Amino acid sequence: MEHPHQEERVHATEPVVEPGYTFSSVTDKISSIVLRRRTPLWWFAGFAVAFVLAQVLLLSITYLVFTGIGIFGTNVPVGWAMPIINFVWWIGIGHAGTLISAILLLLRQEWRTSINRFAEAMTLFAVACAGIYPVFHLGRPWLAYWLFPYPNTMNIWPQFRSPLMWDVFAVSTYGTVSALFWFIGLIPDFATLRDRARSRPFQWIYGMLAMGWRGSARHWARYEMAYLLLAGLATPLVLSVHTIVSFDFAIGIIPGWHATIFPPYFVAGAIYAGFAMVLLLTIPLRKLYGLEGFITDRHIDNMAKVMLATGLIVLYGYMMEAFFGYYSANQYESYMIHNRQFGPYWYYYWALIFCNGFTPQLLWFKFFRKNTVILWFIAVVVSIGMWLERFVIVITSLHRDFLPSSWGMYQPTIWDWSMFLGTLGLFFSLLFLFIRFLPMISIFEMRTILPQAEIEEEAA
Amino acid sequence: MSTAVEKTFAAPPEVARLQRPALIVGAVFLLLLVAGIFLPHGTGQNQVPGITQFFRSYLLGFVFWTGVSVGCLGLLMLQHNIRGAWGMVIRRVLEAGTRTLPLMLVLFLPLAIFGLPHIYEWVNPQGFHATERSIEIINSKRGYLNVPFFLIRSFIYFALWIGLMYVLNLWSREQDRTSEHGLIKKMQRVSGPGLGIFILSVTFASIDWVMSLEPEWFSTIFGLLFVAGWNLSAFSFVIVVMFWLSERRPMNEVLLPRHFHDLGKLLLAFVMLWAYFAFSQYLIIWAGNLPEEIKWYLYRTRGGWGWVGILLPILHFAIPFLMLLSRDLKRNASKLAAVALAILVMRFIDLVWIIVPEFHKGAFAMSWMDVVSPVAIGGLWLAYFAWQLQQRPLVPTGDSRLAEAMEEHGGH
Repeated sequence: MEHPHQEERVHATEPVVEPGYTFSSVTDKISSIVLRRRTPLWWFAGFAVAFVLAQVLLLSITYLVFTGIGIFGTNVPVGWAMPIINFVWWIGIGHAGTLISAILLLLRQEWRTSINRFAEAMTLFAVACAGIYPVFHLGRPWLAYWLFPYPNTMNIWPQFRSPLMWDVFAVSTYGTVSALFWFIGLIPDFATLRDRARSRPFQWIYGMLAMGWRGSARHWARYEMAYLLLAGLATPLVLSVHTIVSFDFAIGIIPGWHATIFPPYFVAGAIYAGFAMVLLLTIPLRKLYGLEGFITDRHIDNMAKVMLATGLIVLYGYMMEAFFGYYSANQYESYMIHNRQFGPYWYYYWALIFCNGFTPQLLWFKFFRKNTVILWFIAVVVSIGMWLERFVIVITSLHRDFLPSSWGMYQPTIWDWSMFLGTLGLFFSLLFLFIRFLPMISIFEMRTILPQAEIEEEAA
Repeated sequence: MSTAVEKTFAAPPEVARLQRPALIVGAVFLLLLVAGIFLPHGTGQNQVPGITQFFRSYLLGFVFWTGVSVGCLGLLMLQHNIRGAWGMVIRRVLEAGTRTLPLMLVLFLPLAIFGLPHIYEWVNPQGFHATERSIEIINSKRGYLNVPFFLIRSFIYFALWIGLMYVLNLWSREQDRTSEHGLIKKMQRVSGPGLGIFILSVTFASIDWVMSLEPEWFSTIFGLLFVAGWNLSAFSFVIVVMFWLSERRPMNEVLLPRHFHDLGKLLLAFVMLWAYFAFSQYLIIWAGNLPEEIKWYLYRTRGGWGWVGILLPILHFAIPFLMLLSRDLKRNASKLAAVALAILVMRFIDLVWIIVPEFHKGAFAMSWMDVVSPVAIGGLWLAYFAWQLQQRPLVPTGDSRLAEAMEEHGGH
């Protein structure tokens, strides 16, 4: 048996759990947010705003389905626009959750424990938001099932050489595995909530969700095995989903899309955006619920470091694109990068460089990693930067391609924006419901990383 | 205290005994290589003067062994950042590996002074019978691809590598002497930005030394392919050395199955990383099928090279990948070292596949000198490495984390 605590002894920085907690106080503290404490006023206010925005999404989708995708600004020559930008943005945000829950688990990084539940929920909601775009961009979303290979009388078969097709499988697998992973992780906590709930309906609902969990040794043995297997299964998905998203672009031969660096650069960008979103959400939440004892400065520091590392890879991607644009001696390639930097969309490009290239460099300094207010703003800037990145890649590559006579500009419509705001509303509505009705930190896993848990293990 | 400890962890006498045979092999093969200058190479149309073949082969050996040295530097900085027990036990081997960089700088000189017109089309378009279109492309890249700038860049890479190597080795030596805790932080502080410098310098070195062999071709992932590849070469080499040391005092008392287990996991990660980059590049270029890009792969899949191209995913990825999944294999030093050695050989074959077809444009041809050159440079490299390895204790004795790293049931 290897002791995960050994690392602490030597590199004693901040602890992963504030000292002084006991098994029962951990359980009390986390479960009371769901079961005992009065729902705070800010929750109602926040949920109301998010819920209104979610209605904007429903409204937009309704109008879209009745009218057609002509309501978007997507038009020749920019045949892919806001929907794919937002799809990639959302799906990227999800990656941090899987990385934290699966890869950091396999790497025995125990600091993940207090943020994994939350980050996984974020993954699921982000994937849900992302999935809306390709389906409704089909124009006839009621025929979305044509994407799947099934025997039919119409002789319709998906084009398996298209990465868009791989995307269907990658994203749906990712969504399924993430949901399973999240749910299985929740089962022991559902049982805790079931046992602690006072009102009958809640006992009943949490009881159903706990699926008969009694906490017997056999339950735990099976549970640990299932959890580990799912972690192994989820790990390649972190890489594969965004790799395939990058193929959506790179397989084509449009300058600015057809770049071999895209797979690692997209994956790093996804993790980067995801950690920015986790920071963006955890910094206020831990303050509002007084969870600084569980989500310590060490977590914030580590997440900021991951953001710095992935941000540097993304910056490397920008550098390679710019260098090879000029090195290629290919007039289309070099025009593409020139057009990005000095063409009509130049301010998007330089805003992107500022947000994603310059801002994260602050994270080299401990001062900025420690100061949660500044860090929160950095996370916001990075989230905006990652949206700009997709905008620059999609729009500037398409609006001026090989034939100058077919050049054009892209103008998003009000519906492009309402869809985007709407998915933000959906995301935050789900998130507010999650923090109100489910334990946002894994109760039982927190108990295992308390120092008391280790002493018993050594005595045994 | 420190002298006693230093004595305890001194390199075994076999390391010193390795020096002379390695040097002899290196010298003999180097003589063979030089003799090759005076022989004709190739047949018919492909006939080239001996000096041209000499530099073609020399480039191959030079890039391979520079990869091992520079890869050691990257791994050294990586372990300073990650701080695992595995890093503590291999640190001295990595440091000795990085200290071979001055040798590689010296070995770069013949290439820099005499070799360039023989291997790079952009240096000497007339000598290569370049087509009008190639000359046009080369001319439009003159701002980057010209001899003075090429040489300045190459010396900058070496300056950066040797600079990083120098400070990290200096502080490590100082740590042995003083056991000062602050040095750990110091080395970490350099290694963070150092890794960034490493990735950028390896990227541009790979573009200059290898990619520019075909001046028209470009691929944005190429640098990362070399970053992963050179780290993988160095890591495989280090695992082989660690196994060899684990058979002898004093390291047989230090190295535990769990160390090899961690090394094996990291080896698996590097194998996967390399395969991921290599496959991404292939798939994207194959699917795009653009004339200026696809020809790079056509030269490497036609006329017999295709067989090498098939070997790579199988022997460089699939088989090591499947074997390294086994926990028992990773904990068994000798088996792990066998896999690592095989990967090291495949690293060389990968480099052959990347470099050599460029000179034969679609025809399968290899000179005997392509094998002699890496052995010649490798012999010198190994002798130098063995000499450097004896200079210091085989573990960083002044590092406060060493005791924990050597514990039977340590962390990670």
